[in-house]
Amino acid sequence: MTRILLKNKLDDCIAAWQKAGYSVLAPVQRHDMSSFDEVQKGSDMALDLILTERTIKDQFFPQTEPLIKYNISKKEIASETMTPPDKKRVFFGVRPCDASGLAIDDPLFGWDYKDDYWFKRRENSVIISIACTEADDFCMCTSVKLSPDSTKGADVMLRPLANGNGWQVDAVSDRGTALLESVSSLLEESSDEAAPVPQVAEKFDVEKVMEWLGDKENFESQFWKDISMRCIGCGSCTFLCPTCHCFDIQDEGDTYQGIRRKNWDSCSFALFTMHTSGHNPRNAQSTRWRQRIMHKFNYYRGKFGVNSCSGCGRCTRQCPVDMGITETLQAITNLPR
Amino acid sequence: MIYTPFPMRVVSKRVEAPGVNTLKLEFVNQEDHEFFKANYHTGMFGLYGIYGEGESTFCVASPETRKDYIECTFRQSGRVTTTLANTDEGDIVTFRGPYGNRFPIEQFEGKNLLFIAGGIALPPTRSVIWSCLDQREKYKDVTIVYGARTVADLVYKHELEEWKQRDDVNLVLTVDPGGETPDWHDHVGFVPTVLEQAAPSPENTIAVLCGPPIMIKFTLAALEKLGFTAENVYTTLENRMKCGVGKCGRCNVGSVYICKEGPVFTAAEVQAMPQADL
Ligand SMILES: Cc1cc2nc3c(=O)[nH]c(=O)nc-3n(C[C@H](O)[C@H](O)[C@H](O)COP(=O)(O)OP(=O)(O)OC[C@H]3O[C@@H](n4cnc5c(N)ncnc54)[C@H](O)[C@@H]3O)c2cc1C
Ligand code: SF4
Ligand code: SF4
Ligand code: FES
Repeated sequence: MTRILLKNKLDDCIAAWQKAGYSVLAPVQRHDMSSFDEVQKGSDMALDLILTERTIKDQFFPQTEPLIKYNISKKEIASETMTPPDKKRVFFGVRPCDASGLAIDDPLFGWDYKDDYWFKRRENSVIISIACTEADDFCMCTSVKLSPDSTKGADVMLRPLANGNGWQVDAVSDRGTALLESVSSLLEESSDEAAPVPQVAEKFDVEKVMEWLGDKENFESQFWKDISMRCIGCGSCTFLCPTCHCFDIQDEGDTYQGIRRKNWDSCSFALFTMHTSGHNPRNAQSTRWRQRIMHKFNYYRGKFGVNSCSGCGRCTRQCPVDMGITETLQAITNLPR
Repeated sequence: MIYTPFPMRVVSKRVEAPGVNTLKLEFVNQEDHEFFKANYHTGMFGLYGIYGEGESTFCVASPETRKDYIECTFRQSGRVTTTLANTDEGDIVTFRGPYGNRFPIEQFEGKNLLFIAGGIALPPTRSVIWSCLDQREKYKDVTIVYGARTVADLVYKHELEEWKQRDDVNLVLTVDPGGETPDWHDHVGFVPTVLEQAAPSPENTIAVLCGPPIMIKFTLAALEKLGFTAENVYTTLENRMKCGVGKCGRCNVGSVYICKEGPVFTAAEVQAMPQADL
């Protein structure tokens, strides 16, 4: 017997959480691109999507984040630090790769200096992950040693029932236990089976990839030029990635008032590393592509003990020139040794 | 919050060379000053900013032995530096820091010190120089080799004069060929060449080297010729930075985050980095 949430209780569940002060966010197909957004009832959710086009990262590390508001008049400067909204949130129906992405980025935002903007949101959020029942050709969670039902980064895990009536519900953290407590009267015991998770074939050998990247000899290999020839440096793969975290800090406004903002940036752009002198350490697209791969499968692991990729496949799914990370990692796997 | 800077008051401004200014800044708030005093060591850097324009990375050019204020010296080159250069006494600017690692000057105690700087890179070197000269008894011979393109481009001219007068400092000044003036009595030649002629002994000596990449490259070769080992040569790397605290992802050379593990490195550490990423 396990606890289940029936679909016809979902609206009550949402209402109960809202009453307890939470906003409820779920996958929605609302704007140009599917994303996580606030919902009022179950029918607002697009739970059948294999994966939203935009990632849940947007809700923790927004595309633009106001840091400081300033006002300048003659010799007087007034500035005010801006903080993220102090709002409790439930994320319902997060795919395991997106939830893992949050867990992967936690150590980065926390090492030594704690990024309050990230953690304030993290601490106020409960993540309800949902196991996948379908995958597409781009999914590659298994290649990075995760799975379609991984609980990494989740507070509560949902497994869709085979009969389609609802979900098995398991708390996987204290925060998750507490959240379920608040709706325990809406859950019931059942022996209904969960739907099977899809088979996701491994697309590359991550051990081989890490070994090749770890060999200093390969840093200047011709491989990087050949494999990245098609990249137009648009940055889509980084913006749509649940783990990419690079940003810029810019003052936006006029001479008298404005806002200092933390804006998404991308290692795909030439300006990203350009010195004022004009010197640019990563002066070709191939060196920037190398940086992205090295960062994800070598540097990040060296610093934080995990690879900075959760296998969501978005970078490949959405690349305008059909490139993405999978092809590169496959090619590295297949290099003669 | 993490990206909130300290307000700082400009207390004086000094023109060092054409397009190069030094600002002396004092803390507006006592608790910010206490934080700085507790955390600053020579070699560290900060993000100096001005609302409406942004932030720029400079070293803290004042030594860790003088923490009542912060001095920064910068070349006017873009948006932020131009606005900073146009500030007046009493204006408020901002500072985030001190960030990064430091020159381990207590490990230099009992040793000879050789400082080598080129052009606008005297500021970071000057911070270490004064940190050591203010505790002169702890160190043996002190040699400073400093060069600039022309006589006008030499920065901290008043301090060069002061070091020249001291008999416990050996100052070797040079300008590039063609950069001398009729009344120039010091060396004419590039830093690496002049360094080789001065031939300081590598015996029990630590070298601190800051300058543009091309000068560093040739000076390292000269130091090696003189018998210095890469472990005893310290230098700084200056990649483009935004956050200064290991988050924004842009300053790394290979796996090394310059803003967190640097900007101070031994030449041996720099040589171990992927050279194509420098
Ligand atoms: C650790 C460190 C110490 C430094 N110390 C000094 C110093 O003491 N004196 C000095 O004159 N210069 C120093 N620099 C270089 C200095 O940061 C740049 O020249 C300066 O940022 C130019 O700013 P700008 O806004 O006027 O130029 P713009 O070209 O308008 O700058 C645009 C943006 O790019 C960033 N940027 C561009 N080039 C660099 C760069 N090389 N390093 C960091 N950020 C960059 C700036 O922060 C700015 O936000 C140092 C750099 C680093 C990393
Ligand atoms: S790999 Fe594709 S999505 Fe990524 S920057 Fe290059 S062209 Fe854009
Ligand atoms: S690198 Fe690609 S597959 Fe990996 S997490 Fe980012 S977008 Fe997903
Ligand atoms: S300056 Fe942002 S990571 Fe180093």
